[in-house]
Amino acid sequence: MKVGTLTWEYPPRVVGGIARHCEGLGKALVQQGHDVHLFTLDFPGSPLYEEMDGIKVYRASTELGHPNFLTWVLLFNHFLSKRMADVTKTVDFDVMHVHDWLAAFSGISFKHYMKKPMVLTMHSTEVGRAQGLHSPDSFSINGIEWWATYEADIVIVCSQSMKTEICDHFNLPKEKVEVIPNAIDVTKYQISVDRGAVRQRYGVGWGEKLILCVGRLVPQKGVEYFIRAIPAIARRYPEAKYVIVGEGWSRDILETEARASGHASKIRFTGFASDKDVIELMSSADVLVVPSIYEPFGIVALEGMATGVPVVASKVDGLAEVIEHDRTGIFVYPRSPESIAWGIDKVLSNPDHAKWLTENAKETLQKSYSWEAVAMKTVEVYKKVVK
Amino acid sequence: MGDHVFRSQQDEQPNQLRLLIMLHNIGATESSKALTIQQISEWTRMEPPELQVHLQKLSELGYVQSFRSEETDKYHLTTDGIRKVLSLYS
Repeated sequence: MKVGTLTWEYPPRVVGGIARHCEGLGKALVQQGHDVHLFTLDFPGSPLYEEMDGIKVYRASTELGHPNFLTWVLLFNHFLSKRMADVTKTVDFDVMHVHDWLAAFSGISFKHYMKKPMVLTMHSTEVGRAQGLHSPDSFSINGIEWWATYEADIVIVCSQSMKTEICDHFNLPKEKVEVIPNAIDVTKYQISVDRGAVRQRYGVGWGEKLILCVGRLVPQKGVEYFIRAIPAIARRYPEAKYVIVGEGWSRDILETEARASGHASKIRFTGFASDKDVIELMSSADVLVVPSIYEPFGIVALEGMATGVPVVASKVDGLAEVIEHDRTGIFVYPRSPESIAWGIDKVLSNPDHAKWLTENAKETLQKSYSWEAVAMKTVEVYKKVVK
Repeated sequence: MGDHVFRSQQDEQPNQLRLLIMLHNIGATESSKALTIQQISEWTRMEPPELQVHLQKLSELGYVQSFRSEETDKYHLTTDGIRKVLSLYS
């Protein structure tokens, strides 16, 4: 099958989970014999065309900008469409797979001009990300998301909770929405790591606990509640160090919160970290905290499970489907610093139980979350829409 | 625009972040697309002295890079700066 994929982010342009999702799915589709052509935006240092793991990657250069974000989105979609139009002169796609609203304009144009089916994966919704629609931009994005779900032949989501959310919010018929969970390449996370050296690199000494939090620094990730839990954790584990990995627009606010906690010297913000650094950190940490307040899936929890670090996560949305409480991880209440501190203590105070949790987590991961399985399910969806 | 009850997401950010977003959206994302303070001022309608202060701070934070070309300073986002902006909408 000839598959076109449209996404605004693809490595090395990595913002959130969409880039990694497209990479994992694309590689698995190629391995299963499909021809994958991926259209995305340019990124400093990356060529406008290259083949990555068998995926043909076309990058569109946005030749015209505008200070307004939504105007910029329209502009880059125009340049994406031009890039696709060039390629469609020689490639006859069977299906176009669009990821999220940002690339929806190009996908919808392709559907109508090329008379081909369009599959849409909704990784999250504006109403979820922004916890409501509080600005004109949010209303516009919400409208575009509705339009994209309306135009798509089938909408894919990564969890049952996400299916419920978009069916309710956009009035979609349930039969139009397929649930295909996210996945990870487990082998990528099982590497030999010098834990002592990694911990030292981040200022964690011998005998000190390393408590890790990984994610974009935006409100939906709930990092502020983790920071507010630190005084309670520090009372029980005065030697603990806290490493917060990720970049995002609320970083300044979170750094201020960290200074106000009275434990700033123990909290380190690393900024954006490469995959290698994240894997090394997860493999060296004593606990991974995922304090999200909105998480359609929560791939970071799977990544933690793959590296063998015990995971303490909010019981929200997709995370509630990924983790089994007190068997593959520990659930805590969202927005509750007290509960987060309790969950971390539950892991740190009983290393044998924590080890048992991680063994169960790895077993679950291998059974249920492989890219091969995701690719096969996705191809079934393609087959449904290809006439 | 002034009669809007709601403010846009961009306007709700502190000025530095707002500037970072605008630099991104007007395309100053690599050295070949770097802009002078005068050009940035025309796009953003911010006064050059204020811009100078914000750009200095953003450079210190590692989100903006500057270099001298034809006797004038030019500015563009670093990859960390790009990621910071994109995190707003992803």
